[in-house]
Amino acid sequence: MLRRIAGHLFWAARYLERAQWRARLVDVNYHLILEVPPRDIDPWEPLLGITGEREPFAQRYAHADEASVVNFFTFDKENPSSIRASIEAARTNLSSLRHMISSEMWLEMNELYLESREWSPDTLESKGFAAFFTELRNHFYAITGIVRSTMPRDLSYDFLEIGAMLERADNVARLLDVKYHYLMPRLEDIGGPSDGRQWAAVLRSASALEAFRKLYGYAIRVDRVVEILLFDASFPRSARFSAERLTAALARVAASAGGPAAAPPAGEKLLTMLRSNTASDVIVAGLHEYLLEIEQECAAVSDAAYADYMALD
Amino acid sequence: MLGEKFAERSAASRAQFAGPLGELPVMDAQHVGSGMPVRQASAAPERPMNEMFDAEGRARPECARVVNYLLAMESQRLAELGERAHRMFLRMGVTFNVYGNEAGSERIFPFDPVPRIISADVWAELEAGLIQRVRALNAFLADIYGEGEILKDNVIPRDLIMGSPQFRHAAVGIRPPHDSFVTVAGIDLVRAADGRFHILEDNVRTPSGVSYVLENRVIMTRIMPELMRALKVRAVEHYPAELLASLRELAPSGSSDPTVAVLTPGPFNSAFFEHVFLSQQMGVELVEGQDLACVDHKLFMKTVHGLKRIDVLYRRIDDDFLDPVVFRPDSLLGVPGLTAVLRAGNAVAANAIGTGIADDKAVFAYTPKMIKYYLGEAPIIPIVETYLLRDPDVCEMVLANLERYVIKPTGASGGYGVVIGPQASERELEETRMRVEQAPAAFIAQPVVQLSVHPTLAGADGTTLAPRHVDLRPFVLLGAKPRVLPGGLTRVALREGSLIVNSSQGGGSKDTWVLEN
Repeated sequence: MLRRIAGHLFWAARYLERAQWRARLVDVNYHLILEVPPRDIDPWEPLLGITGEREPFAQRYAHADEASVVNFFTFDKENPSSIRASIEAARTNLSSLRHMISSEMWLEMNELYLESREWSPDTLESKGFAAFFTELRNHFYAITGIVRSTMPRDLSYDFLEIGAMLERADNVARLLDVKYHYLMPRLEDIGGPSDGRQWAAVLRSASALEAFRKLYGYAIRVDRVVEILLFDASFPRSARFSAERLTAALARVAASAGGPAAAPPAGEKLLTMLRSNTASDVIVAGLHEYLLEIEQECAAVSDAAYADYMALD
Repeated sequence: MLGEKFAERSAASRAQFAGPLGELPVMDAQHVGSGMPVRQASAAPERPMNEMFDAEGRARPECARVVNYLLAMESQRLAELGERAHRMFLRMGVTFNVYGNEAGSERIFPFDPVPRIISADVWAELEAGLIQRVRALNAFLADIYGEGEILKDNVIPRDLIMGSPQFRHAAVGIRPPHDSFVTVAGIDLVRAADGRFHILEDNVRTPSGVSYVLENRVIMTRIMPELMRALKVRAVEHYPAELLASLRELAPSGSSDPTVAVLTPGPFNSAFFEHVFLSQQMGVELVEGQDLACVDHKLFMKTVHGLKRIDVLYRRIDDDFLDPVVFRPDSLLGVPGLTAVLRAGNAVAANAIGTGIADDKAVFAYTPKMIKYYLGEAPIIPIVETYLLRDPDVCEMVLANLERYVIKPTGASGGYGVVIGPQASERELEETRMRVEQAPAAFIAQPVVQLSVHPTLAGADGTTLAPRHVDLRPFVLLGAKPRVLPGGLTRVALREGSLIVNSSQGGGSKDTWVLEN
């Protein structure tokens, strides 16, 4: 496989995962506000903290309110991480490698892109918030499903997997980092009651609420939220699960060279971190520092994979 | 009936090409480059040939079934089929890029669902003529980048070749296997008022359009399956396999399982869709310049697991951008050192460097002579009469009646810079006159050919059939042996009365059905 193609697959998957992630964030926040009317601070502003985009946002918007933040995350062509821009970036990456992916995947991607070109804040109005985001989420599920059921498990699949899983692990860490500080400032509150609905919203952002209830029952405890989002080996959107798949894909790519097994693949350290810790360990030792380390490790894996398989010079 | 016309012509009067109606002046080996226009291009436009109906309005025999089919259909239904085809193209992402159009740089090549029919015997003769032509062009290229016999024998003026920017000195001495300089050719044909096909121009650099032929067919099998079955239409879907076979035949000796790659300028090129399509269909890598590296006079591509050797490069990048060491130093599209690799014989490029001299519009006038010179045969398909304005007498003659001619710059391709006299404004004609006077050798003149017309969906609601002008671009492959795709791309000028079929200027396309015997 060409290095450039590997790069396109990697980035296409990252952008798709990012768009999907942004959509969850906006959708869940919107419904949270309906359930829990905001008190003092505007409930949309913290989202910018999660994605680390306060600065680019402030450059072009005066106030962080529902209209501006939703627009920034969803429709804004100038924001390279908006859902619209991410869809376009994913499609641009895929368009130069249509011969590497299934035609079904291309058709679905192209359809989503054509739809997104027609979007405007009015679309949200006319379709209804819930319907718009449900439809969008179904598009992403369709693409993921098509990839799984039509693409041979070869290098192209592996590079999609590497991109998607890196983005996912990184996003989970960011979500938890910001929400944790925002919702749970004091150590002694751990294990105690908390704002259940806020944490339920966090879980829903990661599609983890049902899985949580199945594992732990109704009561939401913060350490358990951390446990399922970071360390659970069976929940498909946890950081651990993502790291497992990431590392496996990296190992397959390394093995496909056919030579003797080289050094352990780049994801090994990240995986060890997530396999050998528990929620209570890391909360006591400092969750923020731990999450920061995960984010840094994701960046390191990304850099290493790029240098090994994608860089052209 | 048309078949008879062709048979009669081929048997009896190759040298004297005047058709039954004697409408269109044509060139042959006798009067190529002979200077004065034999007769002036007719000022009054003649009645164009209708591809489906004869002068009395009867359906031509090979079209009878299609005509009956269309007549049996409600006009609304036909419009629906057109609309369905449009949606399918959009969904499949079959698009081309339009330069200088930022808003929507991707467009669909408009498709007309009424097929263009070519009978078996008409096609048999065209096929023979196309093979003959591409063989002669290859012999010409082997000659001028080798010994230059045709120049020594004064069949073509030396300065016409050596003075052309399309003659690539860097290509002198590079000789591809089988003398296959032009491996892929797209030859533009027009059908004149007398019903005969003429060569309008050759495209032997990086001709495009074949992907539309294949995609149009896919659409037609979905929207008119019963008609296709009834008519026995010759298949086109094997083209990618034939292309791959031709390319593999070019591999440097010694490579038993040669690696082929397609070189594209990238997603912003107008034909990018086609590059993707062909590489996908052939199952070979689609590479950009940045994917390639020349090491030790060998060509490689950069893969996830290191460098991999390439034997045959089907390049869809112009010479100018191919190798910054030899051509434009600012080009980022090609790969430095490629020319040296080709010269060392360690890889082969298709088409070869320097083929542009063979489709130069001034050289075009000499192609009938070339066929005679290299093959000892009379040309099977005549060319549209072509006047070289480098001859002062010819130039004077043409300038005196500028509004009657088509003026084309010799170096350009793709319809750029072409002025159609009868449709040009006073100002355009004046500007053209000045440009021609400044550099007469940079232009040729041709009489205005009344391209044949074909029933095409038209009208604001797209429910009426109206005659629109069409041309035909068949595709010819020449590896170890020639292979011709049955039919080719029929382009149609969708605007009423327009003679411009180029996709960049409002043209569309039709599926071309060559019938089996």
